[in-house]
Amino acid sequence: MTDKTLLAIENVSISLPPGADRPFAIEGVSLTVNRNEIVCLVGESGSGKSMTAHAILRLLPDRTGVAQGSISFNGNDIAKADEPTMRKLRGGAISMIFQEPLSALNPLARVGQQIAESIITHTKPAPSREAVDARVQELIRGVGLPDPVALARSFPFQLSGGQRQRIMIAMAMANNPALLLADEPTTALDVTTQKQILALVKKLQAERGMGVLLITHDFGVVADVADRVVVMRNGRVVEQGTVDEVLRNPKDDYTKSLIAAVPGARSLTRTDRKITGEPLLDAVGLNKTFITKQGMFLPPRRTDAVQNISLGLKARETVAIVGESGSGKSTLGRLIMRLIEPDTGSVHFGGKDLLSQRGERLRQMRRKIQIVFQDPFAALDPRQKVGDAIAGGPIAYGTPAKEAMADAKRLLARVGLQESAASRYPHEFSGGQRQRICIARALALKPSVLVADEAVSALDVSVQAQVLQLLAELREEMNLAMIFITHDLRVAAEIADRIVVMRRGEIVEQGETQMIFQNPSDAYTRALLDAIPGRAMFAGPGARQAEAASA
Amino acid sequence: MSTLKSFLRHPTGMIGLFVLLAVVILAVSAPWLFPDDPWDMVGAPFQPPLSEGLWLGSDMLGRDVAAGIAHGARISLIIGVISTLTSLIIGVTIGATAGYFGGKVDEVMMRITELFQTIPGFILAILLVATLGPKISNVIFAIGIVSWPPLARLTRAEFMRLRGREFVQAAVCQGQRPLTVVLRRILPNAISPIIVTGSLAVASAILIESALSFMGLGDPNLMSWGFMIGAARTVIRQAWWMSVFPGLAILLTVLAINLVGEGLNDTLNPRISRKR
Repeated sequence: MTDKTLLAIENVSISLPPGADRPFAIEGVSLTVNRNEIVCLVGESGSGKSMTAHAILRLLPDRTGVAQGSISFNGNDIAKADEPTMRKLRGGAISMIFQEPLSALNPLARVGQQIAESIITHTKPAPSREAVDARVQELIRGVGLPDPVALARSFPFQLSGGQRQRIMIAMAMANNPALLLADEPTTALDVTTQKQILALVKKLQAERGMGVLLITHDFGVVADVADRVVVMRNGRVVEQGTVDEVLRNPKDDYTKSLIAAVPGARSLTRTDRKITGEPLLDAVGLNKTFITKQGMFLPPRRTDAVQNISLGLKARETVAIVGESGSGKSTLGRLIMRLIEPDTGSVHFGGKDLLSQRGERLRQMRRKIQIVFQDPFAALDPRQKVGDAIAGGPIAYGTPAKEAMADAKRLLARVGLQESAASRYPHEFSGGQRQRICIARALALKPSVLVADEAVSALDVSVQAQVLQLLAELREEMNLAMIFITHDLRVAAEIADRIVVMRRGEIVEQGETQMIFQNPSDAYTRALLDAIPGRAMFAGPGARQAEAASA
Repeated sequence: MSTLKSFLRHPTGMIGLFVLLAVVILAVSAPWLFPDDPWDMVGAPFQPPLSEGLWLGSDMLGRDVAAGIAHGARISLIIGVISTLTSLIIGVTIGATAGYFGGKVDEVMMRITELFQTIPGFILAILLVATLGPKISNVIFAIGIVSWPPLARLTRAEFMRLRGREFVQAAVCQGQRPLTVVLRRILPNAISPIIVTGSLAVASAILIESALSFMGLGDPNLMSWGFMIGAARTVIRQAWWMSVFPGLAILLTVLAINLVGEGLNDTLNPRISRKR
């Protein structure tokens, strides 16, 4: 071990309680983090990457524990350190930021107070209130947030996802940690915010000479920030090395497949899908304003979620609606599904006015337009068997139960699951499998339009690629037109014929996918393109050709 | 199945279940244990407990206190269960309608609920039984009428929470009819807290019935614990056993039901049950 080494994990195994799917969560994992470097720990869900990070601070769930190996920090073995020592380290010399900043912050305390808490806990004797306040404001300013005084007084729910993650980072920086553990810090954020947060982490790391262990499933992120990479699979390290070695010259097959899965990494072989004719679905002048009451004496808050949006969708066409959170893209999807009623505007489907339909006529129209939701964990009824969930739609329209169930099994096989899945409950499946089930459920009614609302955003990059592939196949087989809502331009590029960019409820740009990538006319579209993680390494379809031309 | 297993491992819940089972067995076997009418004089009045043939003594008219408790258990349990079912039917229907449809429907339903919540429950029950007449069906009806508002509130909150969930929206998009969505998708996911509150409502129904009987508003043809305490209250200083034993019976039954309810709460609530 050299002076430079900050954290050294050697041959660590973490035991799982008996009855788990494997005896060890991680097995024989060794890795090091030096001062002043960012190490990325990459792997898909279930690979044990989070467990590794949690083991460092001993934040493991009940009935799991470090079975063997040593974890040394600054030369001291902390795997067997006592609880008071660990408490001093947590938030002190080693701090951590989490994936979901909303659940990591206390909803009932002002954020300034929460930052102050971590300062007071670790400073003996307790500093004066003025000193703490000054330090809190310095920290908030340090993470690039405007107006620290006002911000310190706000509650987590008043902040956006990106702002909350900045607050988490400020909290982590409070005691000048030597090591920062970041557990998927940007997975819950949209691409533009992700870019800002990664830049912030990188800047703070360079300023302070910190060691950072950043966990991610996205090689795009790795390409942007990492100095070194550790790839994990099923609890074991399969490959590690400098970022250039691993990305340009991966040795392990699994690493290769992960890199290939990064959307936009594949070159775009787009055949003309020959889409012509009249729009099948035609939305004109849609408006929706949400009015939230704020209390007795405050004026109600107005949010113009969708403003004067018109959108046509031809048969078999795939249109991607791209924008960051709060751009109104999901609201637009729900308006078309009639899960929300628009204030003004019209939606015509196959020549009929969709918005004037009521009761039974509306129910008959619904089967032609189906939706796949973002969160595959929330979109399935935990108490309903998978087969019943899929067959439920056709049965509601009068298909005999036996026939519907046989269809459901066929669909399950088609989306890549076993037919026996029909008699199991959703909790037995992984996120990617559940999303396949949701797709099967939507397709059971043989719709002509499928709305995919961030359908792959909650999935690991490698699973994302498989699900996108599945959707691309299914739309040809079933002659589907698709509205594909996403915040990630890379994903849109993989599947869309046409891209519509939305911002603050308005369409800022639309055009053929190729054109948007090569020739974005709007500044906002360009900002979205720039925010694509790993753009230097995994260029989008446009950039790759530019690179080839210059070579 | 896993719910049942974790309930079997819940210590206080199991104690409650045993006591409750004992009360149920007592109630069911009352006609064989005490074949005589509990209203019959079977011995001398004012016999203390452990007198000949009278374990728990006799009351001021020479009736067997033990027989009264056994037969009273039937009445208490029947009233507790049926009146709770009544309030469940009213409360869940109103709460589900309000929570699912929202808006104007919700406003109207909740104002009605509040109307019932502002009237003191027990006084309304007395009023209802006094006007309709002291019959067991009227007592059940009165208890049902005063105890549904909390259930309606709870059901409404659960429905409002679940209505916006994506799997419910998916069912709507699948073309399922509103009634199917409510009964098959939302209700099963909302039922756990309703069962728990319902089980606790059984205990409070037994208490209301006892209180009504104590005030002489119980069915005069049926022996009940509340009536026994009410009748014996004037002689409590001379003959403590006449009111203490029925009182203990009420205490044990209500406590047992509460323990079972708490056990159900811990096992049906995934966040608590997963910890064990």
